[in-house]
Amino acid sequence: MTDILTCMLILSGVGLILLAAIGLIRFPDVLCRSHAVTKGLTLGIFLMLVGLWVHDPGPGKGLKIVLAITFQILTIPISGHLVSRLALQKNLPRWRHRPVDDPRSRN
Amino acid sequence: MFVLIIAILLAWWRMAKGPSVLDRILAFDTITVCVVGLIILLSIRWRSLYFLELILVASLLGFLSGVAFVFYLEKTMDTHPEEGAPPDSKATKPSPSKTP
Repeated sequence: MTDILTCMLILSGVGLILLAAIGLIRFPDVLCRSHAVTKGLTLGIFLMLVGLWVHDPGPGKGLKIVLAITFQILTIPISGHLVSRLALQKNLPRWRHRPVDDPRSRN
Repeated sequence: MFVLIIAILLAWWRMAKGPSVLDRILAFDTITVCVVGLIILLSIRWRSLYFLELILVASLLGFLSGVAFVFYLEKTMDTHPEEGAPPDSKATKPSPSKTP
């Protein structure tokens, strides 16, 4: 039972990290890329650390893993936010295509 | 483990190709998190307890280098000029959300 839970957590975390890397390749813009990378990496590394904790629980290990989880959850969104704020400040080229249903694109 | 290595290679490609420095910073964040994931997988395989400090040190190093780079670029990077309006939307009024 523990092995199945560990496998599910680790595999979903690895899949989310791979999706974040694919989004880093495929998206056209700094803001879109930081959107994909920040969310995917945060949830992915969170699931992987929880999987490590489920696999081998222990009193000294649990404290360090909770510390690592807290640190990752606090720092990855801060880093993505700083990058996207700098991209907005420096007026980097943005993706200009509008969706079809946007009323501003009709006239 | 091979999936994480594929993710590292994709981030490398973005780091080599990326049009601006911020793309390279994002790729560096991705590579750091992938290295932390590889350390987690090795710690499960070798059943060792000493890798947890390594996880903390790697994540701290990635975060601090990214933040230092961003604060350095905030002072020295040059601002891009305002883009002209696209040719098919001359009738639309300029959106007020555009940064000055």
